[in-house]
Amino acid sequence: MDNNIAKRIQSLRDRLTYLQDIFAGKHADNANLLEERLAAFTERARWAQLDDPYADIASLEDLFAYVERRLEDCITPMDKVRIVRHPQRVCLRDILENVYDNFTEVGGQDEHSLDPGMLIARAVITRRSGKKSHTQSVMVIGQEKGHGAEFRNGGSVKPWGNAKALQYMRVAETEGIPIHAYIFTPGSYPIEDYPGAAQQIARNIYGMAGLRVPVVAVISEGGSGGAEAIGLADKRLMLSHGYYSVISPEGAAAIEGRIKEGERATPELIEHCAEHLRITAQDNLAFGYIDRIVQEPPLGARPWHFDFFRHLRQEVIRATDEVIISTRRMPLLKSIALSRRRKADANLDEMHMGWGLSASAKERLRERRQQKFLRLSRQAACDRRPFWTKTATAFCDWLAKPWRTFKYDFYRKHQRQMRSMMEEVSNEWDLFRNRLLSPWRRLSHKLPGRAENAQAQLELTALSAWSGDGRKSKWNYISPRFKIDRTLTCPNSASYGCLDLWGPDLFAEFAGVCSHCGYHFPMEPEWYVKNVFDVGSVFEFNSEIEAGNPLDFPDFSARVAEAQQKTGSKSGCMTFEARIDGIKMVVAMLMGTFRGGSVGAAEGYKFVEAAQRAAKKRYPFLAYVHGTAGIRIQEGTHGVIQMPRCTVAVRRYIESGGLYMVLYDTNSFAGPLASFLGCSPYQFAVRSSNIGFAGPGVIKETTGMDIPPKYHRSYRALSRGHIQGIWDRRQIRANLKQALLTIGGRNLYYR
Amino acid sequence: MSKLQDWKKDRGEAPGVTPVALHEHRILVANRGEIAMRIMRSCIKLGVAFTAVYTAEDAASGHVRLAREKGGEKGLFRVSSYHDANELMAVADEAGCTAVHPGYGFFAEDFRFARRVTKRDRKMIFIGPSWKIIRELGDKINTKRLARSLGVPTVPGSDRPIYDELEAERIAKSVFDFQEQQGIQRPLVLVKASAGGGGMGIEEVYDPDQFRSVYRRIRNYAMRQFKDEGVLIEQRITDFNHLEVQVISDRSGRNPVHFGTRNCSIQSTGLQKRVEIAPGFAPETLEYSFNAERVLTDIVDYSLTMARKVGYDNVGTWEWIVTRKGEPFLMEVNTRIQVENGVSACISRVHGREGVDLIAEQIRTGLGQPLGYTQEDIATEGVGIEYRLIAEDPDNNFTPWVGRIERFAWEEAPWLTMLTHVPCDAPYEIPTEFDPNLALAIIWGRDLHEAQARGLTFLNSLRLEGSNNAGEALKSNVGFLKANTGRILHF
Repeated sequence: MDNNIAKRIQSLRDRLTYLQDIFAGKHADNANLLEERLAAFTERARWAQLDDPYADIASLEDLFAYVERRLEDCITPMDKVRIVRHPQRVCLRDILENVYDNFTEVGGQDEHSLDPGMLIARAVITRRSGKKSHTQSVMVIGQEKGHGAEFRNGGSVKPWGNAKALQYMRVAETEGIPIHAYIFTPGSYPIEDYPGAAQQIARNIYGMAGLRVPVVAVISEGGSGGAEAIGLADKRLMLSHGYYSVISPEGAAAIEGRIKEGERATPELIEHCAEHLRITAQDNLAFGYIDRIVQEPPLGARPWHFDFFRHLRQEVIRATDEVIISTRRMPLLKSIALSRRRKADANLDEMHMGWGLSASAKERLRERRQQKFLRLSRQAACDRRPFWTKTATAFCDWLAKPWRTFKYDFYRKHQRQMRSMMEEVSNEWDLFRNRLLSPWRRLSHKLPGRAENAQAQLELTALSAWSGDGRKSKWNYISPRFKIDRTLTCPNSASYGCLDLWGPDLFAEFAGVCSHCGYHFPMEPEWYVKNVFDVGSVFEFNSEIEAGNPLDFPDFSARVAEAQQKTGSKSGCMTFEARIDGIKMVVAMLMGTFRGGSVGAAEGYKFVEAAQRAAKKRYPFLAYVHGTAGIRIQEGTHGVIQMPRCTVAVRRYIESGGLYMVLYDTNSFAGPLASFLGCSPYQFAVRSSNIGFAGPGVIKETTGMDIPPKYHRSYRALSRGHIQGIWDRRQIRANLKQALLTIGGRNLYYR
Repeated sequence: MSKLQDWKKDRGEAPGVTPVALHEHRILVANRGEIAMRIMRSCIKLGVAFTAVYTAEDAASGHVRLAREKGGEKGLFRVSSYHDANELMAVADEAGCTAVHPGYGFFAEDFRFARRVTKRDRKMIFIGPSWKIIRELGDKINTKRLARSLGVPTVPGSDRPIYDELEAERIAKSVFDFQEQQGIQRPLVLVKASAGGGGMGIEEVYDPDQFRSVYRRIRNYAMRQFKDEGVLIEQRITDFNHLEVQVISDRSGRNPVHFGTRNCSIQSTGLQKRVEIAPGFAPETLEYSFNAERVLTDIVDYSLTMARKVGYDNVGTWEWIVTRKGEPFLMEVNTRIQVENGVSACISRVHGREGVDLIAEQIRTGLGQPLGYTQEDIATEGVGIEYRLIAEDPDNNFTPWVGRIERFAWEEAPWLTMLTHVPCDAPYEIPTEFDPNLALAIIWGRDLHEAQARGLTFLNSLRLEGSNNAGEALKSNVGFLKANTGRILHF
């Protein structure tokens, strides 16, 4: 048999197995037909029974192509999941070799790398204008799955891999070259190390929110946190057969079906979840979370689809150009340049433009990126605020703006100077007066019969003013569970020998803290709202923004309604203004009682609004995490987009001079922790809280390793450097006040 | 009336309903040793049923024996610890108890326990003051403020926790100045953690310049240990006598009476009482540098004023410091029956009759009976001395001695009351888990000299022998008691 024929037979075999794999038993008739025809051809070719094997194999290839085109129309979301996970799928190295003209891998090579799952390369693209050729550098960052290479870990990046990515993003920023991020990850590797997964992803997102170079992201497999770690981009492209989701369909099915340890979700349930999570490129384009779809050949791109690489090259160059153009100030020139590049027959290789940016253009680029993310996903939350409320708020803001500018940017600054001058003057005056009066004082001290004795006695035995009344209850609010007349066993009683606690004592006087070992029993969100902040100072706003069911996930509306009924609030995030001993602040509280404190579009919306309100009013901003289980998976990408979105809001707030603090209680896991909570420079936790990226079950499932006990305890988070301190629940108010006074500056806003 | 209704409400009884008769009650004796025996004896005297508890270490103790003999069915239960409220509640429910007597120590001054007893679904009576009073007077700062508001003298210093360093220094300075003006040679200031107790977080300052560092040390210690930065600053009084006023009142809380005063100044180096004498001073026998009679009436009046103010509704003791100048200062209020209640009882005569039993009175009034007499009906006669016999080494910092008691005997006398849980007819192993108190000897005499002489007679007749595993002979504080008998009631 001719060697060429053998090679082509082999490639057809690969195509056949690929087809069989991605459909997982569906369309078996088509596959069987192809298999039969291929077997017949191989049989005959082996015995050289064919007159013109090349013609025959060409027709066979045509048949394959035909079948693939036919099957392309009936691809389901789950098939796409299987496509992106298939070893024959294009990987980042293929793209580097075929899309870019040359590249050098940095930060490791093959398995000899800090994290082989994260591939970073300096690549060049050569473009021509007329006869002149221009070479442009880009920093390519992305997860590398390899074609089934074990050491790549399937593109699941460990924290240090993400740290490496952030490092080279900074390098690119210094060098002023664009970043191309390729997202091929099923999710981040959920390990708590130095740093932990969530901690590092939060750093990455926070860093990317402020990068001063163009960032273009291409999503093939975008799994939640791992994707967001390098995905906060000016332009997000998505391969047409990729998926972008909050969680893998299997994970969603495990949660939906309440799968216990050791069981597996049924394929039907997984299929069902994949369908309803709306994970495909088309869906995400419709939601606005990606900017453009890069069309792939039928049934997905594989390394031999060279025309796809050409297409992809055009697309990434166009995207980068568009980002550069979008920072220009002249609207007319901008639109002309954009329309030239958007023409269908435009060849971007022939159109050169520099990718460098001026300092002011970099600022505009950043601002555009931040605004873009802040605008996302508003449609996914149901904003039930009455029209007149919104109008009145906007009007008041408009009125108050000049006043605030006057107060903070002008008056306070000068007031400070005035005060320090007056202090000096009065000090000098005191000194002078003491000198003047000292002879008289000396004289009067020696006079007999000074009635100081009685005075001292009176002072030491009379009542002093004291506001604290020992007899009243220490707490303004007492958990309703204090009524139960039974004892509760502290979970630590086996190791510390705590005696059982009587319910009325525990939930009323002890504030849910074991009096022996300090274990914190969970308390309701109301407890914190009423006990941490001044009485009557809590003013809730935006309570009309409701959590909904933007994806129309089956049965989910009822569950949201049930949670709303149970907790009496419309979403899992309560935003309010409050005071602690007169120190005003804006608080966003994630409530663990509302669907596990998961964050969806409504919660993200309220969080962003709260951050903006704090910035406007120059108040400190506190994120109080009563508990969060992560991103609300039933909202799919609407949920996951809150990670970059809220982080952008936080970054804007911090950079405008605000003090952003986070306080964790009970369990805080996954997405929110890996973004807008984890990026705060001042994070504290109360004792007995658990902080981490993924729960023990998920870690076992994804990595196969058994985690040691107390893996997620706040003490571990403290030693990882994730949080800055551990507080006792009974001391939250005092500690919070002290932190505000010591970390915040004079007016608690400008540091 | 409102007080009465309040405490009835606390106990889940409708106001106006007459209390249940005594014999329908069953009392849980939530204590051990000598006090448990006294409670049980009083119960027997009153005709109230009781249920005792014991732990494995106490199986040989006298209170177990007594409960076995006299308790009847459901008279004795074994628990794993006297400190475990859950277990005590379970025992009470099992035995059908209607009231709990905490004795002294353990849960006696734990307002949470009292509250739990009276507020749980199956309500019981806590024999002791109501939990609100325990909480109010159990807090020394609160007691001090209450006292000051009534014009009762307290130790000079701050009456609230100080959180501010500048204020602390100002107060310390004024305390130093005050002592200087008083002519005290070595002024001392006491800095203590307001949330502390049991001697933890207390330090003396003798140099004003040293105050700041001590203050910070105590504050940080309190922060770590008690999670509260509050610090108290007081004058340290070095040369003083420790006096007590025994108060009792019924549940109406309106007519508290006192059973005289006690002097508890003879203490071990760890400031634990070893000899208690009633009355507090003997001005007719001894010479004092101050008007002792006046001091005694003052502290009694002050104590009753406070008891009236808070509506005190059971047995309690007001503890006083009396300086060499004869100034009384209120120290604290013990909202419980005390070890040394017997010494007050032995000199007291109600309606001229002897044999007053304060524990029986406590149980009777605690269960809701009216007191039945007023202050005019109470008189005192003679002098009482109480010795605490303890196996310890007075020469070596009163270190407890542990071992086996082989012989324990004394000469009976009509003026002697011996309270002990140590059996006299069998060897007894001293348990290491509890305090090493062996016996209380209460001696009565017509006057101080007779009481002293009888006390010495008793101590000389006492035979207390034993040895530990190392073969060393038993050490006890008998020698210490003998040596100190001569100086009792002397300032």
